[in-house]
Amino acid sequence: MFGAIKALRRNGVIGINERNIRYVNALNARRSLVTVDDKCITKQLAQDFDIPTPDLYGVVRDARDMKKLPEMIAHPDGFVVKPAQGSQGKGIIVIDSPLKHGWRLSSGRRIDLGAMQFQINNILSGMYSLGGQPDKALIEYRVKFDDVFGKISFKGVPDIRVIVLKGIPVFAMLRLPTAASDGKANLHRGGVGVGVDIATGETRQAMQYDALIEVHPDTAHPLEGIHTPYWDEILMMAARSYEMTGLGYVGVDIVLDRDKGPLLLELNARPGISIQIANRRGLRFVLEKAMVLGDEKHSAEKRIEIARTLAFDQEIEIAS
Amino acid sequence: MKTKLRQAVILGLILIAAGLGIFLVKSVRLGYPVVPGATATIWDFEIYLEFEGRDEPARLEVYLPASDVQRSFPQEQFYNGPFGLSLVAEPETQNRQAVWTYRFPSNRKVLRYMAQTVGETMATPLPPSFTQTEPETIPFQSDLIKRQAFIVWAGDLRRRSADDQSFVNLALQESFENRAAGEEYADEIAVLLDGRTSTRARLELARHTLHSAGIPARIANGVYLSDSRRRVETKHWLEYHVDGEDLRYFPEDPSGRFFTIWYGNAGLVDASGIEELDIQIGLQSHRDAAIDVVRSSQGSAGALGRIFGFNDLPLTTQLVYKVLVTIPVGITILVFLRQFIGFKTLGTFMPVLIGIAFRETALINGLILFTLLVALGLGLRFYLERLQLLLVPRLAVVVIFIVMVMAGVTVALTGTDQAIGLSISLFPIVILTMTIERMSIVWEESSASEAIKQGMGSLAVASIAYLVMTNSHIEYLMYQFPELLLVLMGLCVLMGRYTGLRLSELWRFRQLAQ
Repeated sequence: MFGAIKALRRNGVIGINERNIRYVNALNARRSLVTVDDKCITKQLAQDFDIPTPDLYGVVRDARDMKKLPEMIAHPDGFVVKPAQGSQGKGIIVIDSPLKHGWRLSSGRRIDLGAMQFQINNILSGMYSLGGQPDKALIEYRVKFDDVFGKISFKGVPDIRVIVLKGIPVFAMLRLPTAASDGKANLHRGGVGVGVDIATGETRQAMQYDALIEVHPDTAHPLEGIHTPYWDEILMMAARSYEMTGLGYVGVDIVLDRDKGPLLLELNARPGISIQIANRRGLRFVLEKAMVLGDEKHSAEKRIEIARTLAFDQEIEIAS
Repeated sequence: MKTKLRQAVILGLILIAAGLGIFLVKSVRLGYPVVPGATATIWDFEIYLEFEGRDEPARLEVYLPASDVQRSFPQEQFYNGPFGLSLVAEPETQNRQAVWTYRFPSNRKVLRYMAQTVGETMATPLPPSFTQTEPETIPFQSDLIKRQAFIVWAGDLRRRSADDQSFVNLALQESFENRAAGEEYADEIAVLLDGRTSTRARLELARHTLHSAGIPARIANGVYLSDSRRRVETKHWLEYHVDGEDLRYFPEDPSGRFFTIWYGNAGLVDASGIEELDIQIGLQSHRDAAIDVVRSSQGSAGALGRIFGFNDLPLTTQLVYKVLVTIPVGITILVFLRQFIGFKTLGTFMPVLIGIAFRETALINGLILFTLLVALGLGLRFYLERLQLLLVPRLAVVVIFIVMVMAGVTVALTGTDQAIGLSISLFPIVILTMTIERMSIVWEESSASEAIKQGMGSLAVASIAYLVMTNSHIEYLMYQFPELLLVLMGLCVLMGRYTGLRLSELWRFRQLAQ
């Protein structure tokens, strides 16, 4: 056991306790958390900062809004319903396309208007929000994902998670849905996490259920060496989340749309630490360097430059 | 960052030190027992004086146990009859006297003094004022022959001894040397004892000898606390201080405990104006909870217990606090299990609340009941999901259902010997309902296995919390030493700054440990 502790220390692996005390609590002011806890506000802020997000079709706040629901959801390409304050992908409904008297869910099942209203009512009554406060339901554009990841995704939308410290992107991971995760990209449900090189945007090693894997479990396609398109834009979006939210330690979730390019999906003030397994290295060393180098006065371009240098240094360190 | 860490660590350590400090003072210095059920023998000590008045001014001076000695001395009472009572203290000898006076007593009169005590042991320290070094004195200044004999004998003892301790041993040994009838003592001792071979005379001689060598010594008079009796003899012994040690010499075998009444070689009672005086010293023992003995004692020992304790509260409130003070223990354990081990539970403090609920049902029954109710509730919850009820009404239906199931269990088990039916009443239904709701969300959003894992985790933590919170030692410690709450608080502050890996994370990141 002590051997394991030592090895993990050497690899700079941080645990939840360290993440919370050193980074989340130290860098994320409570008053800034509202910018990421409520996705309505996140969307608004993103617009102000010219960061693209999926189009908002409508917000359901109460029973009156519910009457307008049919108008909000009249989109032939489907839509997504999500709680404004949900976390870990809880309570999200993804509609693929309208059917006669209902819709088809991304999972292939069918849902009718009554069932959808029930789900939305559950969202409104706070079933998925932190602490159970009343919530809002967002109806928004369903992302049509870029084919570059088509061979390594199963029923669902892959997204890219970037960990950003003081505006410097330090770690990135591609999250892929699997059959086990029911089309969702969350790692704790069985999604696949693939480490992404910050400097180049190239995919590296991968993991599922905390174990290392080489190929996608459903499509059997190798996961390594895929280049992420729009990587510069993605890094820029991630870096600018700092100005946007004022949060010093944040997980930025970006999705690649076939037509619209990278879209900011959501921000997370408590990003998970499994990303370390996907990248086969601990967060500590790069976080500590970024803590020293990070400065509010740096421009986003300067911060990305720092991020690339840090990533490059890390590669050299590992190679030697 | 660094200063915050330092502040937290300092705060935590201060809290722990403060709590432990008070705890140690109470348990070690003041003798509060740290395990439940410890008992102490209490002695009811009584001086009973009966006499015949002679119709002339009567005066009785009786030595009373002085309360400034370091010994537990809970309470005392006087029975004066028509007599006037005044208490006289003699600071230099530390004696205390009751002086009973009456102008014209006639016929039989009775005076009584009663006290409760736990007595002293060989380990009871002597007061510092006594142990300060005495000037060397040579006794028998007025009697030249005795003085000469003493100088010869003391000088001889000094030659034959190596240090103060051996000097004392020799002096005591020779002062108490018994000779068969006709056999002569050494000349000097014969002269010094002058035919008086009583214990008190010999103790007096030993005391003089010790004083001549600058060793503080005094004769103590009192009783041995060995058995309950109506008439107890007073005993005499020597207390002295050699090489920084407090020692006592008992000419007769001491029982484990004794009780000092007065010092010096005066008699217990000095009476005038009366006749047919009968003095009885009575002793009666009874056992009592040691904690009550300490707390009810006078002085700092009792006061500290009353400040940091609940025993002055009304009984019902005391019972509430008995439970309340154990909750922080459960909470601290929960914090440890979460921060260091990495247990996953449904809700933050819910496992502790379940643990408290187990108090009513006991562990096994509680576990069975909990599992049963949650399983049935989950079943209902999944059915209600299909009816598409709104959240709050759905929760209400689950609450009502749980009450019904509990009522059913109670009725079904009435008449059987199962206590489960009766203890069920206070099982927290709202906590159960929230558990069911949380579990069903995890069930849907993650997986059945995750929900069951978290449910089991909660139950495991609840069971550990329950076992610790109901442990009689823990209950007793927390209730009698509430200052330990500071220790728990300090521990939680320290754990709040723990940045290391959790045990579960060692497993989670096992791939990176190579």
